[in-house]
Amino acid sequence: MDDRLRETLSAMLDDEADELSVRRLLSHEDQSDVHAQWQRWQGIHDLMHRSHSPVEGLDVSTAVREMLDGRIRSQAVPELVTREASRRWQWPALAMVAAALMVGFGAGAGWDSGQPFPDALAFVTATETPDAEPANAVSTSEDPPVQEVALQGLNEKQWEHVSRYLLEHAQHNSVGAGQGSVGYARLASASGGY
Amino acid sequence: MSKDRYVGLSLTNLSLRGFLMVLLLMAVPVYAQTGDAGGYARDKSAAYWLEKMGPALNMTSYRGVYVYARGASVHSMQVAHRYHDGIVEERLVLQDGGSGEIVRRGMSVVCVLPDRGKVKLDQIIPSGPFAEAFASQLVPVNRWYKAELTGEDRIAGYDVVTVALTAKDQHRYTHLLWLEKSTGLLIKSHVRSAGGEVLEHFQFTTLEITDDIPDSEFEIRTEGRELSRTLSDSGSHSDSQSEFSNIAHRQNWHLSWRPEGFEPAATPTSGRGQAIAFSDGLAAFSVFVEPAGKMSMPTGASRIGATTIYMRQLHKGNHAFLVTVIGEIPPVTARKVAESVRVDEALATDAGKS
Repeated sequence: MDDRLRETLSAMLDDEADELSVRRLLSHEDQSDVHAQWQRWQGIHDLMHRSHSPVEGLDVSTAVREMLDGRIRSQAVPELVTREASRRWQWPALAMVAAALMVGFGAGAGWDSGQPFPDALAFVTATETPDAEPANAVSTSEDPPVQEVALQGLNEKQWEHVSRYLLEHAQHNSVGAGQGSVGYARLASASGGY
Repeated sequence: MSKDRYVGLSLTNLSLRGFLMVLLLMAVPVYAQTGDAGGYARDKSAAYWLEKMGPALNMTSYRGVYVYARGASVHSMQVAHRYHDGIVEERLVLQDGGSGEIVRRGMSVVCVLPDRGKVKLDQIIPSGPFAEAFASQLVPVNRWYKAELTGEDRIAGYDVVTVALTAKDQHRYTHLLWLEKSTGLLIKSHVRSAGGEVLEHFQFTTLEITDDIPDSEFEIRTEGRELSRTLSDSGSHSDSQSEFSNIAHRQNWHLSWRPEGFEPAATPTSGRGQAIAFSDGLAAFSVFVEPAGKMSMPTGASRIGATTIYMRQLHKGNHAFLVTVIGEIPPVTARKVAESVRVDEALATDAGKS
């Protein structure tokens, strides 16, 4: 972990970290290192301030999981947050949840297998919009969340297999979707590798 | 003195009033004219612009650079496109990463693409015809999307109209199109989720619409592995249910469900030949079915921008097949399509022989 990330971590302890820095920190490849550093500094911080961290016992992963599942977050988390007199922890905690969502699930990168697909949430929301007219007898709200597959987790053969299909689809797209350059753009994007 | 001034002022006031009246009278027709000019684009329906967009994609000559962003990846390409004597010529040059280009002249396509190791590009060189934006005429887009003009704008130096195609059901995404006013050329587009998130972004950053593009701009200049193929009319798109049945019969698998409005759009023959593409005139998805062999794939979906990849394994008798759905459709729809694939006995038998 470099100095800049340490600085961000330190700023987070003081509730002074900006969103971008938090995202950068959470996208750091060695999260165990970040976690260990956070715990160390948190311990020191607690000793110095003679207080317990409100984050202690706050299960961020559960919150993320629940948000992705589309379930209402259990009351335990907000209670824990609101019970504490200090509101200073709300931003880092929420930022961590939000950044975990952004970093972990954005842009097809770093998705963890075993989590429901993020779009499933938007999808359920979509059915609630006035313009959405269910044309088929498919109730998406009843559809279970779609299992994710991390492209980065595929082995070489599997990735080659997917790449070939991606390119072939992009080709069909440039032919079939009638959007001219957009199809080519998809083709170039697919052949550019991820 | 003061009277003079008064009279003078009075005269001035009268003159001013008269002048303002004249100005107003002059301004009304001018305003009306301006209103007409501004309203010209608005008077045309969204359907008019969509109709114009189809041929404009091929029949407009232009050069420029566009960017394409999906997920975390952003690519830019330089493009020169010319419609001359009924033949489309096009040259696209990758601006990022390794050098590469695609040159097309009519039905002849040459790709010079950097060797990226894992991807066998010769497998993906155009396998079907470059139909002239046929799909937009093939399927009535209005049936599946609510088309409306949403305004006017200026992109890459050109005045454009914006057309929103809002998905009417949950099986497709919403598209926003920015079309150049005089030609109908697509200059910018967004693919958005139902929640309004931009999943895919295409936009010209520089553009020149001109008929004056010399032959030299369509010559291959990149050195590298050249792959060329002349496209044939065989395997062209199909436009009827019976044709789809024929395709499906040839493929030895079929879909027991597909989202309404998605019709078979192409029958690619590359790879191992077990793919069918579907289009609703705007969005498309491809379904690939092939014997798994020793390959094992995870079950689930990945999303790259607006493109969903859904993979699953299907068992028929003692044989396993890989089913992959790739398209600009929501993951839930892709999964539903993948789960609706039914493999016929013949394919299972073939798989046993191979």
